[in-house]
Amino acid sequence: MMSFALLREIAAHDQVWPRMAAKYGVENPVPPWKTSLDGLCDALDRAACNNSVPTFQERRDEEDALAATVYADLPHPESQLVALAHSLLSRGVITEDELVRRLAVIRARLEG
Amino acid sequence: MHDHDHDHDRTVKPMVEEITDFEVLEIALRELCIEKGIFTAEEHRRFTEFAEQIGPAPAARLVARAWLDPDFAALALAEPLTASKEVGVDWLEPTGFGTPSDFTAFQILADTPTVHHVIVCALCSCYPRPILGNSPEWYRTPNYRRRLVRYPRQVLSEFGLYLPDDVEVRVQDSNQKNRFMVMPVRPEGTDGWTEDQLTEIVTRDCLIGVALPRVGVTSDVIVDTRPAMHPSGE
Repeated sequence: MMSFALLREIAAHDQVWPRMAAKYGVENPVPPWKTSLDGLCDALDRAACNNSVPTFQERRDEEDALAATVYADLPHPESQLVALAHSLLSRGVITEDELVRRLAVIRARLEG
Repeated sequence: MHDHDHDHDRTVKPMVEEITDFEVLEIALRELCIEKGIFTAEEHRRFTEFAEQIGPAPAARLVARAWLDPDFAALALAEPLTASKEVGVDWLEPTGFGTPSDFTAFQILADTPTVHHVIVCALCSCYPRPILGNSPEWYRTPNYRRRLVRYPRQVLSEFGLYLPDDVEVRVQDSNQKNRFMVMPVRPEGTDGWTEDQLTEIVTRDCLIGVALPRVGVTSDVIVDTRPAMHPSGE
């Protein structure tokens, strides 16, 4: 199984929703990005006949395998998100370099 | 400077005041996919709006109406897509645009005093999302999916549902083309109730089949998600 240092670092940083919600006294049961992730998965499933995008079945099988092993310490839906990133990286749909660059750009934008 | 004078401490709910790696990752994946032409921003927005507005309310109302109206109950079993439309769910166009991955054949499984149904997707996590909303986390776990088909009574007991031996348990496996929901038996003690009152006790768990509707119970069972056992680790 492939391994991605970037995703391991994100997992290790542990900004998981149960911890964040408790820290700031927030009551929402799921993180605010969850429905956007659902939209992302649905949009990918519909696009799956194109190039190397995983099909629904492949995406879910890989999520199950990764959530039980590499990302076993993450709760859901963080494990779902990181497993999806892992699937897209391992299939070459996106590259680790472009993801690293994009994460920095977005963080700068949100913090600006 | 504020042009109003109310107290924000009293009116604004707390929020997470740091930007998490996970929210940045979600945005990054989405933006890169859009830039690569895998889907459009408009498609993503529509699917996200769909995910935000779905929930178990239409299915609960369907069951409550069926309990009150024998003709509607017959319609629900014979023509579930038509009955779904009457509670606001169009299975052919659930998102209101195009056909999403949830397009399926849909069937309603009616319990009787001697037959109890429960749904699962042994292969992945297929679920009747347009009418029940997003699946609970435990429904997605390999643990539930693998064990329910082998040991249904044991798994149901973990949700607090103990069925007598003379009640047959039927486990219905879903797949990408076929989705199901359970129509439980109307419980005792609900004579004279309105559709709204009945709707309240038809919880998501009842519609999956891991609980039975009961007077006074309007919320789902909280269960700890058990760790998935993956074959590679066995």
